Amino acid sequence: MSTTTLPQPSGEKEKEKAAPAEPATTGVSGARALLARPAVMAFGLVVVVLIVGALALDGNWPGALNWSSGIKDGLDWLSNWLTDNRATSPLFLYFLLHISNWSEGGVDYVFTFLNNLGWLGVTALATAVSWYVSGAGLKVRSLRIALLTLCTFGVFGVLGVWEYAMSTLALMVVAVAVSAVIGVLLGLIAGLSETGNRVLRPVFDTMQVMPAFAYLLPLVLIFGIGSPAALVSTVIYAAPPMARLTALGLRGADPAALEASRSLGSDPWQRLWTARLPLARKEMLLGLNQTIMMALSMVVMASVIGAGGLGDKVYQALSKDNVGLALIPGSCIVLIAIWLDRVTAAAGDQLDTSPGSARTGGDAGAIALEKLGGWFAWGVFVVFAVVGTLFGPVGERSWPIQWTVSISSPLTKGIESFTHSISDGIPVIGGTDVWASHFTSWVLNPMRDAMQASPWWAVLLLVAVLAWMAGSWRAGLTGVLSLAVLGALGLWDKSMDTLSQVIVSVLCTLVVGVVIGILAARSRWVMRLIRPILDVMQTMPQFVYLVPVVALVGVGRPAAILAAAVYALPAVIRITAQGLRTVDPAAMEASRSLGSTGWQQLRQVQLPLARPSLMLACNQGVVLVLAMVVIGGLVGGGALGYDVVYGLQKSDLGVGLSAGIAIVCLGLMLDRLTQSAGTGKRGGTK
Amino acid sequence: MSETAEATESAANAESDDAPRTNEASADSPVISVRNLWKVFGPKGARMRLPHDEQVKGLSQTELREKTGCTAAVRDVSFDVHKSEVFVVMGLSGSGKSTLVRCLTRLIEPTAGSLDFNGQDVLSMDKDTLRELRRHRASMVFQNFGLLPHRTVLDNVAYGLEIQGVGKAERRERAAEMVTKVGLDGLGERRPGQLSGGQQQRVGLARALAVDPEVLLFDEPFSALDPLIRRDMQEEVIRLHREEGRTMVFITHDLSEALRLGDRIALMRDGEVVQLGTPEEIVANPADDYVRDFVRDVPREQVISVRRAMRKAEKTEAGKGTELAPDTLVADAIEAVARSGESARVVENGRTIGVVDDARLLSVVAGLDEDAGGGRGEDGEAKEVAAV
Repeated sequence: MSTTTLPQPSGEKEKEKAAPAEPATTGVSGARALLARPAVMAFGLVVVVLIVGALALDGNWPGALNWSSGIKDGLDWLSNWLTDNRATSPLFLYFLLHISNWSEGGVDYVFTFLNNLGWLGVTALATAVSWYVSGAGLKVRSLRIALLTLCTFGVFGVLGVWEYAMSTLALMVVAVAVSAVIGVLLGLIAGLSETGNRVLRPVFDTMQVMPAFAYLLPLVLIFGIGSPAALVSTVIYAAPPMARLTALGLRGADPAALEASRSLGSDPWQRLWTARLPLARKEMLLGLNQTIMMALSMVVMASVIGAGGLGDKVYQALSKDNVGLALIPGSCIVLIAIWLDRVTAAAGDQLDTSPGSARTGGDAGAIALEKLGGWFAWGVFVVFAVVGTLFGPVGERSWPIQWTVSISSPLTKGIESFTHSISDGIPVIGGTDVWASHFTSWVLNPMRDAMQASPWWAVLLLVAVLAWMAGSWRAGLTGVLSLAVLGALGLWDKSMDTLSQVIVSVLCTLVVGVVIGILAARSRWVMRLIRPILDVMQTMPQFVYLVPVVALVGVGRPAAILAAAVYALPAVIRITAQGLRTVDPAAMEASRSLGSTGWQQLRQVQLPLARPSLMLACNQGVVLVLAMVVIGGLVGGGALGYDVVYGLQKSDLGVGLSAGIAIVCLGLMLDRLTQSAGTGKRGGTK
Repeated sequence: MSETAEATESAANAESDDAPRTNEASADSPVISVRNLWKVFGPKGARMRLPHDEQVKGLSQTELREKTGCTAAVRDVSFDVHKSEVFVVMGLSGSGKSTLVRCLTRLIEPTAGSLDFNGQDVLSMDKDTLRELRRHRASMVFQNFGLLPHRTVLDNVAYGLEIQGVGKAERRERAAEMVTKVGLDGLGERRPGQLSGGQQQRVGLARALAVDPEVLLFDEPFSALDPLIRRDMQEEVIRLHREEGRTMVFITHDLSEALRLGDRIALMRDGEVVQLGTPEEIVANPADDYVRDFVRDVPREQVISVRRAMRKAEKTEAGKGTELAPDTLVADAIEAVARSGESARVVENGRTIGVVDDARLLSVVAGLDEDAGGGRGEDGEAKEVAAV
């Protein structure tokens, strides 16, 4: 709600200030014109009604419209049916059971394979493959990546998490392979067929705004706790970017090249193999990179539904509120993320440049070396695979115990004393815990109470008016319907609680993100400084963010909000900086030639022209924050996120699934509102 | 009838690799013959009706769109392309010329009309036959090159052969030949992205040549190039045509390019051919004000020959003065006349058919010759060609 009160005054102020500076602008007719717009009037009216209603009337969702008991009965029945018929229903016998068995078998197979290779084999293999796909040869980059791989696997061993890392990797391998195949197939459908595109686009769009946390529970009920559910949820989460980017690449291919291919008499298959797919190669690799990163994020989070591995260690440590224990597997996950991201990025760049440059030189030596490198990598692979499967591992199966270092107990102690000293030990300014409790009692609670006290119909009205101001009745309809579903599910109060957390978190992230984004856009130095940090932050799985946050502010709503704000920050910074940087240079030059100061330039040229990017940043911020806030249910965020966690722990479909649906509805509403503000004629925020 | 049979036979031959060009005997018959061709974009019902609707044929493009919701990119176009000629289709952007050339191999499906390739009906071809036509008999050079960025120059040139299913060694060998032919020696292993625009278009040209087609189609191939490089490329095309005598259909919006390359030019406007004739006919006898406007700045003495500029010889002039061939350009005649200081004779087969003097030549340069006696008759003739 407070997001929405911003635009009006700031918009007016900007117009008034801009008027003397830019008298030629046609749209300037002062605040009166703005007030005369019916949408703005209506907005003001609704806000007044909202406040009066909150003070005087009963804001609760009416009992007559509350169908939660019926819905709960239905879900309970479904849940019972699923449990009872898991062994007999043909749906399970001929379809779901096969998926379950295959995924179980696949993950087990890969895990056994890794195990048979032994720690020496796995490390050597991973290093060789990373070195090869990032360009082979003696180039600095490929050697650096090989070293990174070596260190990553070494750290697994030294810190004593080898086994867990292997089981995470095994799940990753299968999940990425399946996601990539499914993603490419869907991408081909959406990229080649107009109907396919029309059908699949909205599906992909919805998948992107849907917090993964929401659909874990139904999968658990279908597949039971364990790797099949983890695998399926990972594939659902990670396949869309592959499909989306494949379709994008296929659609964006140079039409002249395709026409040339057609004019030479190629049949559709030839065209696909020789022109379309190669032309889409770059996008497809980017898609693979995203798929891998998202798969990692989900594989880690799926520990909540029994995926095991590193994520499980983090989850258990968090539920014991033991940050020291969570820190080691958490940092190993970050290492995996960095490693995978660097390797796929290097592979992408390599595909782009290397063959050309190697051949341009016509240097036979370079080509020979490259080939040799390839053979070498494959040779290592084959030798280890054969030896591993025939004779057992080279060396020992798992990392030698005497080489591990146990740092968890000193680490735990260190962290405890550290957090203790900064949580409330600092004189005068207090400490993180103190701040968090102040934040809760002075910002969060009043906000939540206000939102819960507001009459439900006024909130619906507000959303409708906001969408109207943004210029899209379709978005308004979606928003109002989604909110109505929240009420009907009997989750109005909890949703308002979650919504208040989302709004606070989005505000924090936008303020900080836009400021840093502006700095990064205006100074190369800042950009260079923060780029590596952003890179790491963006590759980190959502789950990992919880660890340091809990260490800082303890368990509770502030932790969820802080984690969400930090999680969404890199995307907001990136998009803002990118948008400001790509502003039409001619417009910038024109304004400079008119003698404007840096500040004027920013305010009058860059920010208005970068408006679409800022709206996109807002939209992305909202989507990311929501996804993280509900995960905050794991660390005391309460509200909808907690319901999902509860549902998962007790296998209570009634509670868990309604909360999941409510999360999806919230996501849809927030996304549609911010999205239409971006595309509409006059936006809402900032 | 026999011609048709022969054409069918040649089509059958064309499917084997080594004999794609067997039609030596029927040299007189056109390679491509287009009659009343229409291409209408728009809603399907209206689109199919349009070519047969007598009432709308007179409407202008905007009226047509308002009335029917359709755009006629090609309207009732007819022409023949003869063997070994360079047939230029010229027009401003939006005149439908690029659509027209795509209709020739059905990259864009024509709405109505007939289209013969060596007497074989293209519009009734099934997919496979059409593919064979594209693979072996007509290949195209594109404005934006249409190269595959992930392949080397050599593999790009060999692409057409790869699609035909030619083995790797053979197609690379033939591609290497073509790369040499278009002057890209030593660049075979580069990627298109590493070449200049002119070099890229040479690759496009080599790719089209590599399949040894009967007809080369050029769709504004040099529009994206710098003027100097464009000139180089035009000379390259002239050289290739002189060496191989391949039939070419050349689309351009550049009048000087059209005049330089074309044996005959079809000038298009709003989807219709407004005039069809040799460069000289078009410059000397514009069919209407549009064409006249178009050719206003052309240096006429570079295009018009003395046959058009001469007057009847008077008896006294019969035996004296320099002898000129009838297709000598006025520019060259001016030099001869200025040098000798007297009028020159135009001689064909040893017989004097006319005389040019300084007054006649100057009137050509000044653009006054159009009203002179010779022009009128041929104006009608030119129109007749266009209407065939």
